[in-house]
Order: sequence, then C-alpha cells, then structure tokens
Amino acid sequence: MQHASLEQEAFQDMTALTLDAGLFTSEFRLCDTIAEYLANIVAQSHEDPARYANFSSLVINEIIELAFRSTEPVGRIDIDLLKSETRVRACVAFAFGKDSSTTWATFDRAAAPSRPHPAYDLAALAQAVDVNLFVETRGDDRVTLIADFLVREGTR
Amino acid sequence: MNRLSPSFSADFDDVNQEIVLTGRMRPRSPDEMRGVTDLVRRSLDGSSATVYVNVKRLTHMNMTAFRCLANVLAGACAENPGRMIVIVTSSVITWSAPLFKTLAADQPNLSVEIYDSAFYPGQTFVEDESFIPILRTQTKMTWRHEREILPRHGLREGLTVADICCGIGDFATLIKRHFNPARLVALDHSRKSLEYARRVAADFGLNSIEYTYGDASQMLLADNQFDFVTCRHSLQIFNRPDILLRELYRICKPGGRVYITNEKNSHCLGEPHSETIRWTYEQVARLFSHFDMDVEMGPKSRRLLNDAGFDAIQVESFMVTNLDGDPRDFADVIEAWENVYAGQMAVRRGDPPDFIRRFRQGFRDHVLAALHPKGYAGWPIWAASGRKPY
Ligand SMILES: C[S@@+](CC[C@H](N)C(=O)[O-])C[C@H]1O[C@@H](n2cnc3c(N)ncnc32)[C@H](O)[C@@H]1O
Repeated sequence: MQHASLEQEAFQDMTALTLDAGLFTSEFRLCDTIAEYLANIVAQSHEDPARYANFSSLVINEIIELAFRSTEPVGRIDIDLLKSETRVRACVAFAFGKDSSTTWATFDRAAAPSRPHPAYDLAALAQAVDVNLFVETRGDDRVTLIADFLVREGTR
Repeated sequence: MNRLSPSFSADFDDVNQEIVLTGRMRPRSPDEMRGVTDLVRRSLDGSSATVYVNVKRLTHMNMTAFRCLANVLAGACAENPGRMIVIVTSSVITWSAPLFKTLAADQPNLSVEIYDSAFYPGQTFVEDESFIPILRTQTKMTWRHEREILPRHGLREGLTVADICCGIGDFATLIKRHFNPARLVALDHSRKSLEYARRVAADFGLNSIEYTYGDASQMLLADNQFDFVTCRHSLQIFNRPDILLRELYRICKPGGRVYITNEKNSHCLGEPHSETIRWTYEQVARLFSHFDMDVEMGPKSRRLLNDAGFDAIQVESFMVTNLDGDPRDFADVIEAWENVYAGQMAVRRGDPPDFIRRFRQGFRDHVLAALHPKGYAGWPIWAASGRKPY
C-alpha cells in the first residue's frame, strides 16, 4: 500500500455514494451489496464484465469491510468511482478515532504494515492479486482508501 | 451436504479425499467460519496421503474467511509434514489462484493447481475446436423453428436475456438481431468458442453482447437478473443436469422463464435406408451415455423442469429436416456428427474398426437421405420452458 502523493492524471467522476456512518455500521451485509454494485460499474467496459466484476468486487469488498470495522459511527462514508483514460479508481473515505491517527498516518510503503494493523489483510490481498492500493489521510481524523483498476483489457 | 449458511458450504468427499468449498464466503467474523474450519480440520486429520481442497466453485471470499482457512491449513501442514495439501482452483475465478498461492509460499507441503478440466465427462470432445462446425450448422438449422417457437415460450423484445452454455455465440447473435434484448449475456466454458463468438459479434458490429467465460454450474452472475434464460443442447451433456438447472433457476427473475432444448438422438430418422440410419443413431445414444452424457434427454425436459421447481411448464418438439431450406446444410450437420462421433468418440471408447465402419455407414445413409431428391431426413428436438414462481 502506498501513501498519498498520487500521480497526476485527469480523473472524472463516475459514481458517488454517501452513507451515514451510523446506518452503514448497523448492517454488515451492506458491505457485500455495495461492493457488488460498485464492482459491476468498474467492470462495465471490460471484455468480460462478469468476471472482472467478480475480481474487482473482491478488493472493493475488503476496502468497504475495512471501513465498516474502522470508521467512527458518526459522520459520513464517502464512496467514489473515478475514471481516467486507463483506470477506474475506487475511493472510500471515512473518519477514524483520534487514537488511531498514528496508525493511519504512518501507513506507507516504507513501513510495510505489520500484523495488527487494521489494513494488513487488505494490503496483503491487494499485493496478491496485483491491485495498486493507496491511502491518503486528511487532517487528523479522515482517511481515504484508494484502489486502481484497469478500465479495460481482459482480467489479469 | 453440510449446509453451514445459505451462502456457502463445505463438504468432504471421502472417496476422492477432497474437501469442497462452495459459494459466497463473506462472513462478518471468524465465528461464522467455525463450521467450515471444523470440517476442514476433521477431514485433514483423518487423511494421511494427499488431500485436495477444491475451491473451483468458491466464487466470493473475504479476508476474514481466507485467514481462517489459512490458519487451519498452515496448522495442518505443520502437524503432518508428510501429507500433501493441494488447493484446486479454476481459471474462471481470476483472484483465486494468486491468493491461495500466497499460502504455498510458506508451506512446502501445500500447492495450488489450476484445474479446468473434468467439469463434465465429455468436456474434452465438446470444448474441442472440431465441435465448432457442428454447432454452427446446427443452429442455422434449428433457428428456422426456434424463431417461431421462442415467442410462444415468452421471448419478446426488450427483455434481459442470458444464453448459458452459448457455444460459439451464433444463437446469441440471432437473438440480438431478431429480439433486440435490453441486455444479453452469453456464458460458456470454452475459451476457443468464446473467442470465435466475440469475433463474429464484432464482424456484425454487435458490441453489446456480454460474453463471459464461466462455469454454468456455479456462475458469477447475480440472482434474479434475467427475464429469459436459455440453455440449448447443453443440459444433455452434463452428468448432473439438476445442478445446472438450479443455477439457471437462480439467475432467472421470479416470473421469468428458463428455456431449454435437448435431443433424442435415437429418434433421428431417414428414408431410404431407414434401418442402417436407426441403428447408427441408437449407437450414438449409447456412445454418449458411455461418456455420461444423455442425448436422449428431450422427452425428460418436463420432469427436469418440474423437479427444479419451475411451474407453467411448456414442452414442444420439432423436427429439423432436409426440407428446411438447403438440404446441403443438413448434410453438413450429419457429416460433422460423423467426424466427431465416429472419428473421435468411438475411437476413444476403443471401438473396433468393424463397428466404426458400420457406425459411419448410418451417417452416410442419412446424408444420402438428406440429399436424395425423393429422400427425407429428420432430427427431432424438444424445446421446453418453465416459469420461476413469484
Ligand atoms: C453441445 S454445446 C451447445 C452449444 C450451444 N448452446 C449451441 O446450441 O450451439 C455445449 C456447450 O456447453 C459448454 N459447456 C460445457 N460445460 C460447461 C460449463 N461447466 N460451463 C459453461 N459452459 C459449459 C461447452 O463449452 C459447449 O459450448
């Protein structure tokens, strides 16, 4: 997983979804529902949409589950899909508690996540299936998890 | 079957020493995985040589589930270094092999294999390129009839349609052109056929057919998606048509219909030489059943649909004959059958040359009947459909 400093590329909005964090954390099944919904959009211009949706839903679901487990139960969860020439970017932003600010702020490539970090499994998954993952923190209480998927071509 | 939750299951097959994990495994907490991990642990404990963990039909998984499995497998590897654990994945599910391979990196007695054969007994013949000409000419012959039949089974313009086991996609192309569906998904497990299908669609400028590489017995398509689901000439090649029907039922919307076609090969007929022709097609039925395929399935359609939970079942049969358009087309179909059935399948079964010669003769007589100015040649097909109840 990389920290912030995303390279410059023109991204356009595709889909935006805002959820009340309290509502979101009240129902675990929402993670799966939202992940499937987004994955279908991510895969829509692929040669084999059903298969790429299955692939991208794996990573998106893990990001959303991580938000489910890590978010403060107040405020908003912002979920965005953005599109550039080559990539579809999935962003999930949520608020974390003050006491986990160092956890999220120090999460970068140099300091590869060690076991108890909440994003350890997500990072391991992204690495295994070769998806670029980034984390951006804003202020000392909000983090965005970002995954990049290819706009088209077959599945990896 | 050990049903652990509606969405995923784990089974142990003692005979094959195979643990089979199936479904959508996205538990909220490790507690929900206990049934699975207990079964995996127990099955591994009781086995000494090689154990297979089949995840070919595990379509979804989260890392909570993965960690639980990883822990049990790592524990078992450490306890019994002499036993091999082989994780069997399918190339349909792209993430599966790379993810499970991360386990193999730390465990010398654990390996991951991608295994796409043996989905059904006749797969080697059916996924072979030599089948393409058969399918192409067959659909050309049957379309004349099905074009009239399909509306009686509920197909009309603007529906969401899926063609499962679509082969080379010519049926999907025809559906697209004549019934203009709102959405059309076509799924098959033969990469060669799909490549061909995509090429044909591109040549016709039809870019909205969603071709997908998949396993019809555990599809990646969501529940209740389609108004009309077709599966033509394919239930009959599975040794477990019920599993396929369950999936067709699942992706169909309540109130939507599943439409299937199947043959009864022993009822192929022709004049003149009706006797040699009849003998050969009776042998075709036996040959297929040797490979666990049932090309006599047509008349069983009503029972199959009924047992799968459909209502408002409709069944009709039609006969493709040499009088439908150009008789040369029918002759081409028969010649293609001869090539694969006598030229490949009978040879594979180990039939003696005398048998093969006699077997071929019936096809040749059938061709003759088809092309003879006073001849008649027929191939009977059953088209059936059922409605998924609301
Ligand atoms: C006899 S062909 C019929 C093809 C087509 N429906 C037609 O009528 O021309 C059977 C098809 O089923 C496909 N098939 C077999 N097993 C499959 C599976 N498990 N999943 C998806 N397709 C499968 C084969 O690749 C083949 O294209």
